[in-house]
Amino acid sequence: MIVSPPRPPVRAALRDAGVAALLVWVVLMAAFVRARNRDFAARELARAEAAAQAVARDEAPLHPTAAAGVVRPATAIAGYPYLKRRKVVRGKVERPLGGPSAPAADKLLYDAAARFDAAGPFAALLPDGSGRAVAAVATRRGPAIAVTVEPGAPRGLPWLVVIGLVGLGAVLAAAGAVAGRSALGVGVSVAVLGLPAWTWGGPLLAGFALVVALATMLAHARGATERLAAGLVAHRVALSFLAPAAIAMIVLVLIPFVVGLGIGFYDHQHGSWTCVGLDNFGRILAGNGRAFDDPLNFWFILGVTVLWTGANVVLHVAIGTALALALHQRWLVGRGVWRVLLIVPWAIPNYITALIWKGMFQGEYGAINSLLEGFGLDGVSWFSSWATAFAANVATNTWLGFPFMMVVALGALESIPRDLYEAAEVDGASAWQRLTHITLPHLRPALGPAVILGSIWTFNMFNVIFLVSGGKPGGATDILVTDAYRWAFERGERYGMAAAMGTIIFLILLLWTVFGTRVTRKEREP
Amino acid sequence: MSPRVLASLAAAGMCTLALAATALSGCAQGGGEAVTLWHAYGGDERAALEDVVATWNHDHPERTVRLVAVPYDAFADKITSAIPNGNGPDLFVYPHDRIGDWVASGLLEPIEFWIDEPTATRYARAPLAAMAYRGSLWGLPLAMKSLALYVRTDLVATPPRTTDELFAMAPALRARGVFPLAYPVDDLYGHAPWLHGFGGQTLDDDGAARIATPEAAAAAAFARDLVVRGVVPRDADAALTATLFNEGKAAMAMSGPWFQGDIEDGVPWRVTTLPVVSATGRAAAPFLGADGVLMSARARDKDAAIAVMLALAGDASATVRATRARQLVPNRAAYDGALAADPVLSGFRGQLEQTVSMPAVPLMRSVWTPYKNALASVVAGAASPADALDRAAGEIRAYGEAPR
Amino acid sequence: MTASARRPRVWAMIAVYAALAVATATVLYPVLLVVKKAFEPGRQFALSASPIPDDVTLDHVRALLGARGPDGELAFVRHALASVVVALATTVVGIALACTAAYALSRFRFPGRRTALTTFLVVQMFPASLLLLPLYVLLHRLGLLNSLTGLVLVYSTTAIPFCVWTLKGYFDGLPRELLEAARVDGAGPARIFFTIVLPLARPGIAVTALFSFMTAWNEFIMASTFLTDEGKYTLPVLLQSSVGQFSADWGRFAAGAIVTSVPVMILFYVLQKYLVGGLTAGAVKG
Repeated sequence: MIVSPPRPPVRAALRDAGVAALLVWVVLMAAFVRARNRDFAARELARAEAAAQAVARDEAPLHPTAAAGVVRPATAIAGYPYLKRRKVVRGKVERPLGGPSAPAADKLLYDAAARFDAAGPFAALLPDGSGRAVAAVATRRGPAIAVTVEPGAPRGLPWLVVIGLVGLGAVLAAAGAVAGRSALGVGVSVAVLGLPAWTWGGPLLAGFALVVALATMLAHARGATERLAAGLVAHRVALSFLAPAAIAMIVLVLIPFVVGLGIGFYDHQHGSWTCVGLDNFGRILAGNGRAFDDPLNFWFILGVTVLWTGANVVLHVAIGTALALALHQRWLVGRGVWRVLLIVPWAIPNYITALIWKGMFQGEYGAINSLLEGFGLDGVSWFSSWATAFAANVATNTWLGFPFMMVVALGALESIPRDLYEAAEVDGASAWQRLTHITLPHLRPALGPAVILGSIWTFNMFNVIFLVSGGKPGGATDILVTDAYRWAFERGERYGMAAAMGTIIFLILLLWTVFGTRVTRKEREP
Repeated sequence: MSPRVLASLAAAGMCTLALAATALSGCAQGGGEAVTLWHAYGGDERAALEDVVATWNHDHPERTVRLVAVPYDAFADKITSAIPNGNGPDLFVYPHDRIGDWVASGLLEPIEFWIDEPTATRYARAPLAAMAYRGSLWGLPLAMKSLALYVRTDLVATPPRTTDELFAMAPALRARGVFPLAYPVDDLYGHAPWLHGFGGQTLDDDGAARIATPEAAAAAAFARDLVVRGVVPRDADAALTATLFNEGKAAMAMSGPWFQGDIEDGVPWRVTTLPVVSATGRAAAPFLGADGVLMSARARDKDAAIAVMLALAGDASATVRATRARQLVPNRAAYDGALAADPVLSGFRGQLEQTVSMPAVPLMRSVWTPYKNALASVVAGAASPADALDRAAGEIRAYGEAPR
Repeated sequence: MTASARRPRVWAMIAVYAALAVATATVLYPVLLVVKKAFEPGRQFALSASPIPDDVTLDHVRALLGARGPDGELAFVRHALASVVVALATTVVGIALACTAAYALSRFRFPGRRTALTTFLVVQMFPASLLLLPLYVLLHRLGLLNSLTGLVLVYSTTAIPFCVWTLKGYFDGLPRELLEAARVDGAGPARIFFTIVLPLARPGIAVTALFSFMTAWNEFIMASTFLTDEGKYTLPVLLQSSVGQFSADWGRFAAGAIVTSVPVMILFYVLQKYLVGGLTAGAVKG
């Protein structure tokens, strides 16, 4: 155990209080901004409402307006029910609204009147993001409408409050340390932030501040923070090497992942989000209310995906290993050339491959059917039945994927020491025995991780399924990832469902990886 | 190589890359006063649009238009995701059938405020009405599109006037290895003429789905008939339809104005109306789509945007587009001159009499894929028309459900 | 199954050569079809299975390379440049980030090391569909939508996990004594890293570079989601838009496919001998 020189307690107290306070402040600032914007919007809405009321009573509104007036009921033009004529009255002056070169402010009145006709009195912020509000109030003559002017900027961050509280917190922490009750000092210093938390975020946020204060106090008392700080300092080299990649991953992978998880708890339709909790997951796992052989049923798609992954991995490994064994023969001529040619599918971008194979499987005139007819067989309509469409997908992906397994197997084969074989020959082992007792056992450790990796890639192989069969027939060859995509882009932007599917896919793969690594690790043991 | 040299090389390399990336990222990101217009046109249509915009930019240097080409397949998705996030265009050109969807999501700006009667009477009534939804007008029509019958005059002497005549043509043509007609048989868009000819519909006037009706089942059975009796290829998509037509392996094709760009030189062809369905005596009526210019609800300078819109849909622009790209423009004035006699445009205008406006209701979006699945299974013989359509109706209901 | 100097049996030789021949023919046939399409006139695939073109033309290649954008510049050059810039930048950023992280994970023992390793492994399993929408919003907030910089950042983070695992395998295999000696001599960790470790791990870095480059060069779904302006498209998006659902120009696609694949294939072949070693080193020791 490393014994570090005793630190002045004040420094430790200030450090812990500072870190905890920083955490709380980040949240507090966000809450403040939200509360401020909310109040700001509410103020604009109230002003718009008051102005509309004033116009209704024929008085001048208290605050300046961009446009105001009472809009007469619409009269339609004959033959054009969607082109309505409106007039606005202000004071005693009546003028028409509309026309090719009418001012923009008039349009606000016109649109507000149209909304009033559809939905009744309302007060709302304008959707153009300018911060202005519009309100419509009913009168005998028609809706009285007012639009506020652009508000100034909302008040800035309360720097004085921030500085004051930070100072107070520092004093409290230092005082506590000096008085010998440093944990208490730290706790109180953070708990003080509960006051602005209550103002800006209500009891929930205040509770959060108090929880953080309590946690910091306990951690400080137990010495946990001290150990953490010491650890960070001791490993600072390693951590600084790790930091760049870690930050990039956190910002660009982990945060979107968490957001994606969160979206799974909402439903998105026509641009509006509603929180539905576990509803999406429930629906998916209940099979969307469909029979088990219906492509919309999650379990059916899962079955197809598992079958897809299994078939592909088996074929990749079998073909890859067989070809690797063939290439590994010492008497083989032109090994370099064979190897170069056989790696071609891996070098070509896979979406290009998928599109080419799709063309080859085309029913009337694709190359595959032409070949079949050349051999005297009938052409097959590849995408009309599940079995043939599935076979087409598997054929494409196998073409794409066997080089990877071949290369891994080849690498493993080349690492088998030759004397093992020679010794076995001396002992009289046959070729088959050499294969099963020397070669294959040496291949397994290398192929294990490759199989896990390959199965994950195949499980998530979007391009081939999407581009070759496109899920035909009727979505039956879709795998989980393409189905999730369709929820997002073909069934009305149901992002919530797509995100929920994505989370489920991830969990399945996580379980599979854990299971797989455990199995391969066990194999490596003996 | 010493690490120092390596490091400085790396630094230099990264600086160059960063500069290149910034340069390529485009300096005109902010846009300034330019009105951004997205479109998905290619070929002649794109050239015509660029001409029109170039004329505008020349005449109005203080408020220029910035054209951005976005591929058609991804267009609607990009609009739906870009506009709410604030980085969408001010104006965009797209067929009218997504209007309902976008209005429901609050992405479009209603424009009837700026449109007076003289402007409205510029256009034929149907295309302008296609731009309307829920009592407001959301765009101005630029071109009308519907399917019609393309005929190879060297393979077909007289185009069939009824579907019975179409079947009658089959044996002679099949004997020569030629399909009488080519079109994507399992796509609802291509199937729609028969669906409407049999009296079926997709959505009724209230916007409710009317999928599983006896008329629709009859139309689906008819489609299967077409394939089984060798009139139509089983598995053709848009690209293969063009190949078959060009190579003389299909005598006729059912496609829209865009098909002209796919026909190779040297192929003799003309456009005529689709035949009448013999079983019902009604004309085969394809969907009518109207390409329109729409305004985003988040457009920065709406006055500039509407001025551009009115010019794009104006008579001068219409004449350019009709002449250069053979677009079927809805402006009445465009047909006052030589265009009235253009045989291709006349062929499509003739078909216009027999069209059904594509429903713009949001539910319509959920209809395409299930209907396509149903047609595919009927044509393959895997399900009876009634069953397949029932299933499709159920799926459409499921997609349109609101959460509990 | 490997015999020593003894000659193998005839049937074994025939079987092996036959298997290799069949496999090679299967591998090359689609490639030949595409090459044929690139030089055969017509926008659609010809309706025959033979890989030999009836008619040869350079029209597609000319149309692809000569297409001009709205400002009159050569469109293809622009797209190719975009792809090159993105791929190179991804490679540089990916290597820089992965090297340091892999070194830390390999050479140092610190609390949380296991977790970090597992996280890098687990992150490879995230399906893209889960991340597309949040990434879109995030890039928008950072103002990096419709820009190549945003694309580079996203690609780098996609390539990092695999690179970290591969590099860690290489670093693990470095002789401990060498590094110990340097430390005893008083060299700081940064110095050791740059002067000793990196040069020794050149094969591993080559593998990492290749993988990052290929990932960025071939990726199309994120590019097509995050890039709106056709002028900024990388080559995969350009290709995929040539064969959309409604209009397909297979000739142009074939020509473009060849041009897009060739650089990556060349790179691949130059570095492939490192690839085998890298994969097994990383996989076996991982």
